[in-house]
Amino acid sequence: MTLFLLDGLIVVGLVTLAYQAVSSRSLFRGIIHFVVFGLTMALAWARVGAPDLAMAEAAIGAGLTGALMLVAYRRLVEGRSDSPADPAPAQSRLALPIAIGSGLLVGVIGLSALFSEVEPAQAGQAVLSELQQVDLGNPITAVLLLYRGLDTLLEVAVLLTAFLAARAVAGADGGEGSATTPAPETPMVGALLAVVIPLTVLVAIHLLRAGSYEPGGAFQGGAVLAGAGVLLILSGRIAATPVAGPLIRMGLLAGLVSFMLIGLVPLLKGSPLLALPGLWAVYFIETAMMLSIAITLILLFAGGGGLKRGRNG
Amino acid sequence: MVDLAMPGMVLFLLLNLLAGMLRVYRGPTLADRMLAALLFSTTTVAVLLILAEWMEQPALRNVALLFVMLASIISLAFVGLPGREELEDDRQ
Repeated sequence: MTLFLLDGLIVVGLVTLAYQAVSSRSLFRGIIHFVVFGLTMALAWARVGAPDLAMAEAAIGAGLTGALMLVAYRRLVEGRSDSPADPAPAQSRLALPIAIGSGLLVGVIGLSALFSEVEPAQAGQAVLSELQQVDLGNPITAVLLLYRGLDTLLEVAVLLTAFLAARAVAGADGGEGSATTPAPETPMVGALLAVVIPLTVLVAIHLLRAGSYEPGGAFQGGAVLAGAGVLLILSGRIAATPVAGPLIRMGLLAGLVSFMLIGLVPLLKGSPLLALPGLWAVYFIETAMMLSIAITLILLFAGGGGLKRGRNG
Repeated sequence: MVDLAMPGMVLFLLLNLLAGMLRVYRGPTLADRMLAALLFSTTTVAVLLILAEWMEQPALRNVALLFVMLASIISLAFVGLPGREELEDDRQ
């Protein structure tokens, strides 16, 4: 009964919060509703038994995106001249057709998902039957690295491509100190950082390690590590530069390159591509991927190509 | 006793979540909304911890850990916002 009430509140809350997030006239209200929506969404994932997704949603959906929106809001308010209020954005004539088209698309996908024959999820079943042999307690990590290695490799490549595309759009503008909050010198901030940064790094490593036997792994750990970087950027400890130094470049590429190199080795011995040689390879690749994911997210947040010591550093 | 304690606590936290959502909606000041959102995240941590025990899903504890880390990011991003008077026209 109680769980039913909880689920009911989550469902009703999600729809209401989503509506408020996009429809509220005040930008700040929309942002806060979006953050609470992300938290509720994470709770929903936790309730349906997908802690991995709950972590990703909480870290990226609510945390990093929420902070990014707050920073964007501040720059918007600072840049706004004395114009009285936001004029309501002009309604595009395309809005209704696009809405109908998207609705139809979602409907078609949903219907086909309902009526299509369920194909047995081979990777999942294979993993569950052989979990003891591969020595990894978490079936999701095993699927990601041992059975669907190519998918994971391409995901890391997509992340790198997204970063490069963002750099191309942003141009040479390094966004000097843009994401830093204006008055971060209050003693509370220093105290907060002194406690939170080491804790965050610890949690990231814990999640990475946990990824081998329970939900967690490179993506979750990377997102948490990125959170530490975002805190440092917000407080002005580090700042964005237009061009990356060699260390940052190596970090960006570490995940992809190490995955590819270790994945190529089995070819020499006649094994199939990406047949990882052992558990150490899984740990090594996961660690490298975590660093790459964290650095990519931090640079995307900072809106720059590289990092340097900030003015409060 | 135990089988009554868990649902009771979840029910209590549920009411807190509801109140948090209402406060986020009603405001009226920016700080009210922000504090309500932070309180909401704290309450979710409690819900997750209880669910982890109740549904025997220890992994939910890691999710709760992550929620705590995130609250600090959001609050630090909020602290940097300019004073209230500059946002007068953004208030409802």
